[in-house]
Amino acid sequence: MIKKVILTTASLSFLLLTGCGQTAPDLGGSSNNISDASALSGDTVSINENAYGNESGGRGNSSSDGFQSVYFDFGDYGISSGMENAVSRNVNVAGNAGRKIKIEGNCDEFGTDEYNYALGLKRAKAVKDSMSSQGIDTSKMVMVSFGESNPVCTDSTDSCYGKNRRVDLRLAK
Amino acid sequence: MRYLLLVLLSLNLFAVDASLKIEKDVEHRSRIALEDASPSANEQFFKILLSDLKISGHFLADTKHHRGELNSNFIAPALKSKEYVLRYVLTQSSGTKLIIRLLKASDGKELFKKSYAIPTTSKAPFLAHKAISDINNVLKYPSISWINRYVVFSRYTSAKQSEIILADYTFNYKKVIIRGGLNLFPKWADPKQKSLYYTSYAGMLPTLYRLNIYSGSKKKITSSEGMLVCSDVSSNGSKILVTMAPEGQADIYEMSSSGGSKRRITTFNGIDVNGKYIDNESRIVFVSNRLGYANIFKKSISGSGVSQVVYHGRNNNAVDAHGSKIVYSSRESQNSFGNNTFNLYLTSSTGSGTRPLTASGTNQFPRFSTDGSILQYIKHSGNGSSIGYTNLNSKQSLLFPLGVRKIQSLDW
Repeated sequence: MIKKVILTTASLSFLLLTGCGQTAPDLGGSSNNISDASALSGDTVSINENAYGNESGGRGNSSSDGFQSVYFDFGDYGISSGMENAVSRNVNVAGNAGRKIKIEGNCDEFGTDEYNYALGLKRAKAVKDSMSSQGIDTSKMVMVSFGESNPVCTDSTDSCYGKNRRVDLRLAK
Repeated sequence: MRYLLLVLLSLNLFAVDASLKIEKDVEHRSRIALEDASPSANEQFFKILLSDLKISGHFLADTKHHRGELNSNFIAPALKSKEYVLRYVLTQSSGTKLIIRLLKASDGKELFKKSYAIPTTSKAPFLAHKAISDINNVLKYPSISWINRYVVFSRYTSAKQSEIILADYTFNYKKVIIRGGLNLFPKWADPKQKSLYYTSYAGMLPTLYRLNIYSGSKKKITSSEGMLVCSDVSSNGSKILVTMAPEGQADIYEMSSSGGSKRRITTFNGIDVNGKYIDNESRIVFVSNRLGYANIFKKSISGSGVSQVVYHGRNNNAVDAHGSKIVYSSRESQNSFGNNTFNLYLTSSTGSGTRPLTASGTNQFPRFSTDGSILQYIKHSGNGSSIGYTNLNSKQSLLFPLGVRKIQSLDW
């Protein structure tokens, strides 16, 4: 009786052990699953935002309406002493303006992603704060950062990159 | 005999079920060959299949483009050393049809068969991804369903002009979905990729919209002076993290996805951007210049304390997160007027276990896959721009040429 148990256990163990060496398992034989991949079929839209009107497009990429652009050093958002005269001239133009003034912050191409847009905004805010301290009503100025999206120059030169690190001013539409 | 019984019983205790072993042991990669049984061989489609197999981290694929018969079960002697042979037929006469058969290389036994059909030819790359994803599941490897997802990205076309484009992860499929004007920072709004957020510059102020990419319906979420970016979406899509500047100061806010309520999370008088949920959405990591240079910090959604996460590098200006895993880009050269080296680093929300993921070139826009196992990024090097993928487990990497103009932002 004991021998029978031992032999049965040995046989079962052998069968189980031989199954363990398999690296490419049998997956249950042939199957024939057909799919029409319907999840991939849905067509996506293509919309044209110009149909909704566009404030930013077609307005040029430098200051206009008598304003002067203010330029910044690499990675910086402080107004340098060399740019103080430009800000003062902008204060004079803004004082006579009958509409809101749009202050656009811009960056060179070396920043990435969100940080560059925040850097452009800090530059715009530096100009806005400086103009405010010289008497321009803050409610008359609105800031928008364009990050690296609005270069005036696309050459790979120091002077070109410097022209892109700027704040443009113009009268709002 | 008693000893024999003892030995056999002991071995039984340590016996491992074969299928269970495959589920757990992703280090085991299956050797697989592809046999193209299409009327005319399609090299591009073959390469997409190969890419899918490679980036999965679960297969060692034969890179030779073999030809074969779809319905035959004969395995060429040269392929007997493989574990599997994948035979397929791709036809693109009206729409795209793909039939696949997975055979056991040792005896030609059919393990799986499936056919796929879509009415267009442009989406053929998605059929390749779906097929490899299905085979991966049949062989009980961890899911690679992320290869089926759309990538959405924005690219500049000229000054103040951009497009938002859908692509497959290899960028073989591309379709412009928003053109005209300046539209930036696309971000998927829901796990099923039916809608996305983007920032429109069509009005006086940057405005955040949610667009259903199938119906075209568009909802305004909010607008802000200065800048407005949807940086992250909660796992169930009900909350979003945005960088906005309602008072002219860029800070991170949490909003309901309808735009109905908002809570200011950061209050620094400098730059706080790029908020990403971590630790079950109880905290965020973000980029801030509060120490005088761009670096990675974290804080709880409701608390006020801020802690530094990264103690390496002097300009870490982009971050992404998945669970407690964090990836950031770090500028590692000081060239003010030219291409700088940006490398990607993987770390954790506690700042431990930091390791580099790239070693050369300009590597930016790091993005985790939905399961956190794969990292997507943009690489600029002397050879041009590419979209890169790194499998964080198998450490395998792939680069696909971009062939598009400057990328502004992307999401996966």
